[in-house]
Amino acid sequence: MTLVLAIMLPLLSAFLIPFFHLARKTLSAGLISIMGLASISAALAAAYTGWYSPAVSLMGGWAPDIGIALVGDRLSSAFLLLTSIGSGAALACALEKFGGGPWRFYALFFLLLGSMNGILLTGDLFNLFVFYEIFSVAAYLLVAFSMSWQALEAGLKYLVLGTIGALFILLGTAFTFMATGVLNMALLAEALASIPRETLTAISACLVLGLTIKTGAFPVHFWLPDAHSSAQTAVSALLSGVLIKVSIYALMRVCYIFFLGTNGTVFLAITVTGSLSVLGGHLMALRQDDIKRLLAYSTVAQIGYILIGIGCASAAGAAAAVFHAFNHMLMKMGLFITAGNLSEEKGTREICGLTGLWKSHPVWVAVFAVLSAAIVGIPPLNGFMSKWFIILSSAGAGTVIPALVIAAGTVISAAYYLRILSAFISPGEGSSSGLPPSVPRKPRRRSISFAIVGSFALLCLVLGVMAFSPFFRECFSSIGQTAVDVEAYVGLVTGR
Amino acid sequence: MILLSYATAIIIFCIGLYTIMVRRNLFKTVLGLALMESAVLLIIVSSGYIPGGVPPIAPFSGQAVNPLPHAFTLTAIVIGASDIALALAFIVKLHRHYRTVDLDRIRGLRG
Repeated sequence: MTLVLAIMLPLLSAFLIPFFHLARKTLSAGLISIMGLASISAALAAAYTGWYSPAVSLMGGWAPDIGIALVGDRLSSAFLLLTSIGSGAALACALEKFGGGPWRFYALFFLLLGSMNGILLTGDLFNLFVFYEIFSVAAYLLVAFSMSWQALEAGLKYLVLGTIGALFILLGTAFTFMATGVLNMALLAEALASIPRETLTAISACLVLGLTIKTGAFPVHFWLPDAHSSAQTAVSALLSGVLIKVSIYALMRVCYIFFLGTNGTVFLAITVTGSLSVLGGHLMALRQDDIKRLLAYSTVAQIGYILIGIGCASAAGAAAAVFHAFNHMLMKMGLFITAGNLSEEKGTREICGLTGLWKSHPVWVAVFAVLSAAIVGIPPLNGFMSKWFIILSSAGAGTVIPALVIAAGTVISAAYYLRILSAFISPGEGSSSGLPPSVPRKPRRRSISFAIVGSFALLCLVLGVMAFSPFFRECFSSIGQTAVDVEAYVGLVTGR
Repeated sequence: MILLSYATAIIIFCIGLYTIMVRRNLFKTVLGLALMESAVLLIIVSSGYIPGGVPPIAPFSGQAVNPLPHAFTLTAIVIGASDIALALAFIVKLHRHYRTVDLDRIRGLRG
């Protein structure tokens, strides 16, 4: 029941917001926060249920082979927690910036929230596709929401590539259905073991290609930098922090359940894609002058780390990938919100224009420094710990090349984050020429955004230290164990 | 017969993908998306075919064709229609700004 509520409440909010707008003409921020709190607590309740007692709810009481099953286990719970924190933070930032005004924005936001929870909880391949498309359409519209020409172009580009990805997923689903006659993921895990090798290759190629396009890994990343840099700050943070993680979850779930025992080549392909993303993303980020674009390319590289973790095809690799996904959500959302606010204050997004900020906004720059140290991977912080676990598990899987790629990528990322920080700290020309930049525009108070960013930076430190504690490792290794334990998943859904 | 249908679908899918990759006109990109979508739907509908089957409408005698793929197709048609409508809306907005639908003359859509 809690699983259904996690999907129903956000969708209901999305449905009600236009009616409230029609009836009252204005939406109060309070109403939106109540809806947000209700949706997020429903998601957290589902996460709690899934963590302590893995749950299956069969829609309409139909058996898993005919109906749609919702499945909440530890992997889903971990990602539900991630999306709840991330979307809560993005909602708070958006409320602080826009108030209750743009009702379309909030309707899309809740639609996105509901479909994300749907992707994380569904146990049916076609249902996954349907939720994925609701999620994508809401995301295209949120990218284009400001209606500036960059935003429209980015939205269109995202739409074209996202739809190509979706059609490959649909083609893979169609092939799967033709080969086996079922769509329930647990039943498919059993059925796929006995189908011809060529069919399995076609299915895995279509599904993995489609999901890779949706995650924005390197060779097919074109939409990601545009979409993530053209959107508004809260949306950029949401896109980079949360939406990508939902795609990562879908890739992880589908690959582990379907191909772990049947087609090992898939994991090799994921590892290669991940390594390419790390190098390509970091090298492209090095060349950017626009701070949000740089952060978006850095996301491409960080996806690469997560993909390398998934490609290990082991419990340790999956655990490391989930840990890094969590850390990347904290770090990149914090960085996007900070960069967005600072560049709004200065009125430019060019890195060379963002000077003298250390004097005017010292706390924001300090937070940015902590978050970028975390994302580069300075030892006591969480970014280092998760990268270290990924390196260990990929070396354990038999090759050192991904580990070397990660090490090289770290050096490149240090170079470009230091470039931003040195621009922030340098005195800048504006203040010396007698035209202080803070005079024309009054610095706006952003206490909620700052509280969020500050707590994310603190969490980065805490998670980095906590990674040494046995309890914490136990938690994450049980997530990894759940991810790769296909038999337990099949047993959970079929009740055997 | 059914093989011909599958082959047609795959060829249409490839034509759609080729159109998107090669053509520089935004409308042709959308046409490519529509082609790819129709191809996938054709595959799904054909997969429900059973030789000698009758329409699966309640009082039927003998073996009915599989109705499940048709339900999928209807869902996928709705999704595809919303995707394409959204793409066309974006293109109309972009055309108002640039007065062209030529990708080479629209600035940001590269790299």
